[in-house]
Amino acid sequence: MRIGLEIHVQLPTRSKMFCSCPTTSAESPNTHVCPTCLGMPGSRPVLNRRALELGLTIAKMLGCSIPDTTWFSRKTYFYPDLCKHFQITQYDTPIGEKGVYYLGKKPIRITRVHLEEDPGKTKRVGDQSSLVDYNRSGIPLVEIVTEPDMSTPAEAREFLSSLIADIRHAIGLQECDERSIRCDCNISVKEERCEVKNVTGLKNCERALMYEAVRQTKVLKAGGRVERETRRFDEERKVTLPARKKELEADYGYIGEPDLGVYHIGKMAEGIKVRESPQNMIRRLAQEYGIETATARQLVSTSVPLAEFFETLAEETDVPTAVTWTAGVISANWKSYDRSEESDRRMVSAVKRLFAGEITDTECSIILKAVMTGTDPEEAGRSSEDLDAMIGSFLDANPSIVEDYRKNEKAANRIIGHVMKETGGAHPSSDIVAAAKRILESRL
Amino acid sequence: MDRETVERVARIAHLKLTEEELEGYSRDLSEILEYFKVLDEAPGSEEFGFNPVEISDVLREDEPRMETDPADLLRDMRTYEDYVRGPRLT
Amino acid sequence: MTSLASVNGRYRMFRSFIESIDEDAPFHFSAKDNLTSSAFETCAGSRVLEGYRPAFDAAPISRLSDIGGQLLGKTNMDEFGFGTFSANSAYGIPLNPFDTERACGGSSGGAACAAAVLDGHVALGVSTGGSISCPASFCGVFGITPTYGRVSRYGLIDYANSLDKPGILSARAADLSRYLPVISGRDPRDPTSCMQPDLVLTGRKLRSVAVPETALEGLSRDVESAFRTAIGTLEGMGVEVETVDMPTLRYAMPAYYILATSEASTNLARYGGMRYGPQDGDLALRFDDYFTDFRSRYFGDEAKRRILLGTFTRMVGFRDRYYTKALQVREVVINDYRRVLDDHDAVLAPTMPFVAPRFDDISRMSALDSYKADYLTVPANLAGMPHLSVPCGYDGGGMPIGMQLVADHWCEDVLLSAALDWEKGFDVRRPEVME
Repeated sequence: MRIGLEIHVQLPTRSKMFCSCPTTSAESPNTHVCPTCLGMPGSRPVLNRRALELGLTIAKMLGCSIPDTTWFSRKTYFYPDLCKHFQITQYDTPIGEKGVYYLGKKPIRITRVHLEEDPGKTKRVGDQSSLVDYNRSGIPLVEIVTEPDMSTPAEAREFLSSLIADIRHAIGLQECDERSIRCDCNISVKEERCEVKNVTGLKNCERALMYEAVRQTKVLKAGGRVERETRRFDEERKVTLPARKKELEADYGYIGEPDLGVYHIGKMAEGIKVRESPQNMIRRLAQEYGIETATARQLVSTSVPLAEFFETLAEETDVPTAVTWTAGVISANWKSYDRSEESDRRMVSAVKRLFAGEITDTECSIILKAVMTGTDPEEAGRSSEDLDAMIGSFLDANPSIVEDYRKNEKAANRIIGHVMKETGGAHPSSDIVAAAKRILESRL
Repeated sequence: MDRETVERVARIAHLKLTEEELEGYSRDLSEILEYFKVLDEAPGSEEFGFNPVEISDVLREDEPRMETDPADLLRDMRTYEDYVRGPRLT
Repeated sequence: MTSLASVNGRYRMFRSFIESIDEDAPFHFSAKDNLTSSAFETCAGSRVLEGYRPAFDAAPISRLSDIGGQLLGKTNMDEFGFGTFSANSAYGIPLNPFDTERACGGSSGGAACAAAVLDGHVALGVSTGGSISCPASFCGVFGITPTYGRVSRYGLIDYANSLDKPGILSARAADLSRYLPVISGRDPRDPTSCMQPDLVLTGRKLRSVAVPETALEGLSRDVESAFRTAIGTLEGMGVEVETVDMPTLRYAMPAYYILATSEASTNLARYGGMRYGPQDGDLALRFDDYFTDFRSRYFGDEAKRRILLGTFTRMVGFRDRYYTKALQVREVVINDYRRVLDDHDAVLAPTMPFVAPRFDDISRMSALDSYKADYLTVPANLAGMPHLSVPCGYDGGGMPIGMQLVADHWCEDVLLSAALDWEKGFDVRRPEVME
């Protein structure tokens, strides 16, 4: 089975692709429109700089080769939602070509990335006429086309999910709608492939592909041939159906768009920095440092800066030490940490001293906590001593707890309960647990 | 240009031609294309643009702004509850 | 107080117009009906735009209004600019004020007519393949077609986006110098206007011109004679005149028509009976049929011909041979002009091969015949070079004859000073205006 996708993503610009109409959700139909996005005679397009930058960011993120010069083309076809009866898109010079996206270890080849404008939205009125809302007309889209490198509908869905997460991170796409992603899904079980056009959202893509996989397999099993055709996905019935012929005859007759001219994007692309995506970071940490992917994922998903701190520690000490302390005390206190270069330095220095055997675990733990919560380390130290003393005296008064602990860890809870009652929550429970266990272990 | 091609082109261009028009345009277009043949002898060029002067890198800042009241634009359109009315889709 | 209604009744230069000229306005002007004006219905000579009231004004109109110009009305033209005689207008056909049985030329025929008839009038026209020069020549007025990209096309209803150029027609050379700077300049609403260097009228004199050998072929006797006399006059003014070979000019026509119709066929795709123009179709028709029905009913004959031609030239299988080749040939023609303009200030030739034809002669011309009539104006238009038509003679019947100067990109200044100098020595005849 071979699956390829053509993915359309709306770019998070504030104004449309070729005019200054706002891209925010409108309250009523046809309120975010102007002569340009309505294609009124005499109107003219002007390209949104931000749309170009975001498109290039995605092309770079996907490792595409980017041409020095790009331009736009007119794709002519007749439909009520397409005001000019041509769409301004890119035909012979997409902004990116021949990229690759790694899904885990599997490379999915990216054929091309290009920019185009969205048409409006149509509504059927019974079978009598239609209603059109042009608020969407002219919204900037990036189209990403993959080679048929995916092998199952589930893999395609995983790819989409992962890709969207990365794009979201790279260009600041809003958490919004997975439904604002539209795909044309291409699938072939054997030789002949079918295209399911205009499927909205990730769930529907998977459903459409699954249905097609089953449909094509049935046809082949019955000894028939799969017809190469364009189909559409019926969301309600969750089936694919032969597409209604959208145009009498499709010959788009591409010509260059003379109203816009060319764009020298080579230079512009060089200046664009793509932040490493979370997925890529996880993959890289696991590979470079030899740590478990799960650990890497835990660090990155807590916070990317935390994972970056791990890298610093790993360099200054060693990987196991960095993992223990980053995934442990540092991660636990990260949310309350008011970060500064000075504090970072003090933390690194503490772990380095531990690594060199100059200070104990406890001492290191105290310093880190103090720095991260902004309390005085001496005070933290004293408070820790107080805690130890309290636990010590409680155990002196109840020696059986140690024996009980030997048989069942849960015996420690009695200490914890006592300390909490006595101190009224002055110590964080994680501290109490850590201290209780440490002291119990030492008395075994 | 033969009749069949003219018919096909007319379909793509969404023009319905009468018998007379079909014959007339076939004749005209054949004559014109015959004249265009001289272009085949013309030298080509490696470099060319879509405009006679270079038009490059003209961009607009991403600032939302509405200069025309949409109501003025919709005023002369066939509408229903703020939607623009269009023909049947199926 | 001039009544426009009676003048228009006679010559039909206007599609729509105001009642009368305000004598207190600094000047009055008109605009070709493919320039949007919110004050008038704007139809570009076509029935597909009947009733269109634009919500915005074209840049050249705004700029002239801003300095006090009074917009008298919108002038008649060939449908979307498709034509050489303004005879393809779906509305009024302007009549030549020198002989009302003859055409004004096209496609800015109404503009030339208004410039010739109304005293002190400034007419905005638009040229794609020669639509300012041709009517200027036939109506005996001055016409400047600036460099492509000199004047903003914001508000211009498109014929061909890489070829359309708004410009000015007037019976007085000084109007060209006075008003071209006003309508020129970068407009962020039209990217193609944003590459121009500033227009500086240095008053640079015309010192040498080149006449292509082919410019003397195919001319009527009167045009040839007037042109030769004009060359003599120029030499008398101290201008060097040299004959040159420009071998690529003969490719300009096919390249022009291919590019123009390819672009036009996409520009005209939007006209389908929705959103503007007549919207009286039956919505129960399936969309393909709805659009086809509207377009077949409302487009004129020449519009259909050019749409068919332009759709064909960019179709799969033909695109390389026609559309792509034409783009390359444009570059070749530009280089040929540049080569000659390295050593000369301008290329000179008659504007049109004959004087304004009679309407009955026009009706007998085939489509190809009328395309070929543009062979002298098309090359400069294809190359986007600025060009000027000046009246240079009259035939036996008093019909005007024009000659055209073509300068390099952005060099309007030498053309404008040439117009002023020429006017000093040439007796420009005005038509006898009958009401």
